Amino acid sequence: MSAAHGAYILMGVPLEHPVRILVIEDEKKVASALREGLEVEGYEVSAAADGEEGFQLASRSPFDLVLLDLALPRRDGIDVLTALRRRNVATPVFILTARDTVEDRVLGLDGGADDYLVKPFTFPELFARIRALLRRGRADPVLKLQHEDLRVNLATREVARGDRSLELTAKEFEVLECLLRHRGRTVSRDMLASSVWNVAARATPLDNVIDVTMARLRRKIDDPFEKKLLHTVRGMGFVLGAARE
Amino acid sequence: MKRRLPSIRARLALWHAGVLTLIVCVFSAGILVFVRASLFAGVDRQLHRALTTIDWVYHHEPDEIADLASESGIVLFQLVVDGKLRYQTEGWKRAGLSRALHDGAMGPESWESPNGGWYRVQAVAEPSYTLAAAVVEGARRDAFWTLVAILAAGIPLAAGLAVAGGYFLAGRALAPVGAMADKARQITADSLGERLPVRNPQDEFGRLAGVINDTLSRLHDSFDRLRRFTADASHELRTPLTAMRSVGEVALEATLEPARYREVIGSMLEEVDRLTHLVDSLLVLTRADSGATRPVREVVELSALTGSVADHLRVLAEEKQQSLSVDAGAPVEARCDPAILRLGLMNLLHNAIKYTPSGGAIHVRAKAGESGQSLIEVQDSGPGIAAVHRERIFERFYRADAGRSGESAGVGLGLAIARWAVAANGGHIELESEESKGSLFRIVLPG
Repeated sequence: MSAAHGAYILMGVPLEHPVRILVIEDEKKVASALREGLEVEGYEVSAAADGEEGFQLASRSPFDLVLLDLALPRRDGIDVLTALRRRNVATPVFILTARDTVEDRVLGLDGGADDYLVKPFTFPELFARIRALLRRGRADPVLKLQHEDLRVNLATREVARGDRSLELTAKEFEVLECLLRHRGRTVSRDMLASSVWNVAARATPLDNVIDVTMARLRRKIDDPFEKKLLHTVRGMGFVLGAARE
Repeated sequence: MKRRLPSIRARLALWHAGVLTLIVCVFSAGILVFVRASLFAGVDRQLHRALTTIDWVYHHEPDEIADLASESGIVLFQLVVDGKLRYQTEGWKRAGLSRALHDGAMGPESWESPNGGWYRVQAVAEPSYTLAAAVVEGARRDAFWTLVAILAAGIPLAAGLAVAGGYFLAGRALAPVGAMADKARQITADSLGERLPVRNPQDEFGRLAGVINDTLSRLHDSFDRLRRFTADASHELRTPLTAMRSVGEVALEATLEPARYREVIGSMLEEVDRLTHLVDSLLVLTRADSGATRPVREVVELSALTGSVADHLRVLAEEKQQSLSVDAGAPVEARCDPAILRLGLMNLLHNAIKYTPSGGAIHVRAKAGESGQSLIEVQDSGPGIAAVHRERIFERFYRADAGRSGESAGVGLGLAIARWAVAANGGHIELESEESKGSLFRIVLPG
């Protein structure tokens, strides 16, 4: 079903080779879940189970992205990262770690990482960030988003469905924009919290706020219409449009 | 290396005896000097009177000089005229007192005769004659030396008694310490409810025992809190794990429709969310406990912060038809870490919305305190908090409504996080509440 699947198309841009991702992760279950999840997304995945092996792989063969755990046997993640950067390996590095203090983040990003996600992470957020990393540098010319008969103008902040114009609050608009940008894919609460509410601290009581905002958005864009566009994916988040099977 | 006596009791007794002995010695020496001086002063006056009398008699009635001894009791004297002995009493001769003057000494001075008697001798030399008299010192001298003997024997005795008495008294005085030590030795983590005996709360040991008892009370409280926390945390952590396990096991046992499997997995993921949120909240608190979170303070305008937090949570209030009003008065500034304070205020306001029934009113305002502090007040029209809960409501996992769950169920850490967030910024939270009339949480930040 996925557009990227097999055809090497990323964000609507056809590619000459599949996107190759190296996963450096010692926890077997997480590593295999990452591999499967990324392969379903259409990426080509290699895996390394310790820091040394990961470093060797990353410095020898070209990857489009490296997913790097920090607590690794044989060679620490930060060490791998700095060694790669010293060798002028410019591959984007995405740190996945359970260390979530500000100091850890600064250490990782200063060490040359391109993004940082704290475990336990949700796949929708990971995939969204990977896509953002891979398309980085390319301008985002999109000013109008559309799904079926739902249209959003990012410049004028107008929302309409069919021939009816809809009044959304600022937060509802931003949530809808986030959902539309990832249409067809699940958007997790964590993603909404960081991209719409700018709240990174996960101890913040924001889940209720997100649920209520989502319910109100649904009331406006779905309730008056026969075809429902906004769906809840239990335990994961929300999706605009049909979820991929 | 100085060797120390092992017991305070012995040290006290020795110090006591030492100081007492020193005092007695000084006192005795003083007495001896004084007694000696006054004794000899008496003798010398007597001697002087004798010489005056003899002189007068020699000048006026020289023939009667021999009768002086029998008539006036002046029995020891001699008279030398022009280098020749003119008269010498019998007693003078017997005692050989002339030898006391052999070097031309004039006295008055004490002299011991070869037969063992002590005499006070004085001579008066005139151009043509020399007059000398003596007085027996015996009794006075004996009295003086008896006094010396008594004191010399008494001082060691007094010192001995002082040691014994001091040891006894120190033992009595220090007895409460022994009792306290014995009691304290028996107190363990399991019997922290016990207290040290306090005989007299006013004296030094009573105060010491009081201080130790206060420490024990605090220790007891924190042990209690820790115990409750462990019990609550294991409950909160095990509940989602149990749910996941049972949901998963039931689903694995049966063959289900794919849609049912999705539901089962979704339900398990919900529990994962719950656990994640719980672990995140606990991490915030434990990092705060261990001092790993260092606030970065800057000048923050509290009215704006309050307004923005209220805007964040406004949808929740609207959903419950509550009115959430923000009093945007004059700007109020405080030096604090905005992210941490925001987290605290967020939890406080979230708590107010959660526990205020539908249709209620919540009022938030930032204002300057009377003595320079900055205040943020969150006033709700909820059910209020009973006095018994007020102290403990900020504890981890503590819930005033123990049985309540469902839509208002959080992990029970919100207020604990709020309290930490405010304390990390050097402030504290005050709570005013009246049952059925609502609560007022007041964040007080130093100015």
